Amino acid sequence: MSRLRRDPRAERAAQQVANPDGTSPRPRYDRTQRATGGRPRRDPRAERAGQRVAGGARPRYEIGHVSRGEGPAVAARPMAVAEAAPPKILVVEAPAFLVAVVPDAAGGRLSAHDRQVLGAARALAGREGGVVILAPEACEGIGPAGADRWIRFGDEVAGYDPAARAGRLAAALAALDARHVLFPESLDGGDLARRVAARMGAPLFSNAEVVAANGVIRPARGRRVEQRAVPGLLTTVAPDAVAEYGGPPREARPLAVDATPVAVPAGPILSATRIPADPATVPLTLADFVTAAGNGIRDLDTFRHLVTALRATPGASRVLCDAGLMPRQTQVGASGTVLAATCYFALGISGAPQHLQGVAGCEHVVAVNTDLHAAMIERAGLAIVADAQPVMDALLRRLAAEANGMGEAP
Amino acid sequence: MKLAVLVASGRHPVSDATVLARLDAQAIRLAADLARSVGGRTFGFHAGPDPEALRQALGRGLTQAEHLALPEGADPVPALAARLAAMAPDLILAGRRGQGGDESGLVPYALAEALGLPLIADVVALAAGDAAGTVSLDQSLGRGVLRRVVARGPLVVTVHPDAPPPFAYAYGQARRGTLARLESGPVTAGGEGLALEERPYRRRPKLVKGAPTGGSAAERLKAATGEAGTAASGRLLVGPDPEDAAREILSHLRQIGVLAPPPSA
Repeated sequence: MSRLRRDPRAERAAQQVANPDGTSPRPRYDRTQRATGGRPRRDPRAERAGQRVAGGARPRYEIGHVSRGEGPAVAARPMAVAEAAPPKILVVEAPAFLVAVVPDAAGGRLSAHDRQVLGAARALAGREGGVVILAPEACEGIGPAGADRWIRFGDEVAGYDPAARAGRLAAALAALDARHVLFPESLDGGDLARRVAARMGAPLFSNAEVVAANGVIRPARGRRVEQRAVPGLLTTVAPDAVAEYGGPPREARPLAVDATPVAVPAGPILSATRIPADPATVPLTLADFVTAAGNGIRDLDTFRHLVTALRATPGASRVLCDAGLMPRQTQVGASGTVLAATCYFALGISGAPQHLQGVAGCEHVVAVNTDLHAAMIERAGLAIVADAQPVMDALLRRLAAEANGMGEAP
Repeated sequence: MKLAVLVASGRHPVSDATVLARLDAQAIRLAADLARSVGGRTFGFHAGPDPEALRQALGRGLTQAEHLALPEGADPVPALAARLAAMAPDLILAGRRGQGGDESGLVPYALAEALGLPLIADVVALAAGDAAGTVSLDQSLGRGVLRRVVARGPLVVTVHPDAPPPFAYAYGQARRGTLARLESGPVTAGGEGLALEERPYRRRPKLVKGAPTGGSAAERLKAATGEAGTAASGRLLVGPDPEDAAREILSHLRQIGVLAPPPSA
């Protein structure tokens, strides 16, 4: 069968529009009129619009859908609702062996170091083993941190008696029969681990930087060599060496051990009181909150008053120390002190690279400077582009008003 | 009051020569200061093959020292325990870790266990207590926070690096000090009871703070460059009124938790 032969003259004659007034000799055609016969003309724009899926800010197209331009757009599919389904809790019903963790849990909260120790314990436990944490009652978030079991420990006695605590812990560990016991290598955790090791007569692998089921590694002889051993009973884990547990949360099921209560004789400690750090005298390396002055500060008396009112430790930039305006031991930076503070409040400091090196370890930075493009402004979590002098005065006025009991000024 | 200071044989971190570790020198200073204030005597002890560290300790505040000669690799605890039990000092001081050895810090604990004495760790200051026979010790809890413990002696005390700096070396004192050598009795093999395999130290990648566990490389890079930290979500106020700026700063500092809330609130 052959196609009908086109007759272009007849098509054009059909498209010709009658001349309304007959004045123009030029013929006029209506080109939009579809020619009779022949293939219909494609309209790519209409086809594309027909493929579009309704809904959503960003255009989406159903490429498989062939549209001639007249068909309806593909109906919007119901979007998968992004509901935060609670992650499934992993349960180890009958662990093949136990890995015990004794965190510091100062104030009933797991520190970052404690979480890293739990991560190390998870690495040792693997798929079959269970991680058991010996933590006080109020400790939160031990399941998401990787603990399968929880033994209540450490909130029986309020006073400070490390020997008695070590004795109770050794008894609990003996009753628990864990394959490995991990401690954080912190001030309290390292002390407790050594007491337990001395009491149980078991070897202690201290300050492990790598913890894996096939071996633990620690530095020795001033980091000239590293020593590797098969994981033993007692291990302390170095800070910031092992990653935290990142998997789905564990159940942290309470577990009871029948440890024989040990009768510990009254220790030699008569009293123990906690003395908070005095910010005015604490060395800059140990300070928690440092307020520092730079070349943008003209009135250092106001600065000193502000430091006292904020209960901060004073710091200074190299320029002020070189000029003799601040003592040399307050200098922050590469040639001064490298800080490990939680917060650094920089007044009139532009932030030379050598200064920023000293601030690199600080968690939060607040800066007041006149230069919008200063490096310190870029580094700061709260940056204020203004002259530091009136800001210091306003801060002092506000702190004085609060101290006088006037409360929050408007 | 009799004060005993345990001096370890330290290794210099660069030259690897035998030196007195800084922590031990700080312990000597604490002991010497206490002995001067209450009227007592300080003795140094070292158990091992080489008395070089003890010789240096004589120039840093010790006047009398005893070297318990032991072969290389022998356990120092039995020899020290026997000598200290005979001497019965009121305080035994030691650094919290050795320097240049295994650095496990176990000797003071093993010694306290062997002597049956209580141990107070990480002390930065020592003073005589109000009651007779008591000592007031300041323990470091980190970040300048202290715990003042009053305890009845005799005690074993380990010294924290935040203790006052050691005395400077004095050559004349080192010449005047007496160093006695004692042969010790039966020798037991040292070591911690661990089967250790040694190889050259290899530095390992640092953990990036704030990086999500199991995150992608892009997330780790963000955390390392600080883009994901406080600087990324930082607030910038250009030319604010000083009062507004002060209010913002104080509320930000309170949110971080470094500034106490206002007393009236």
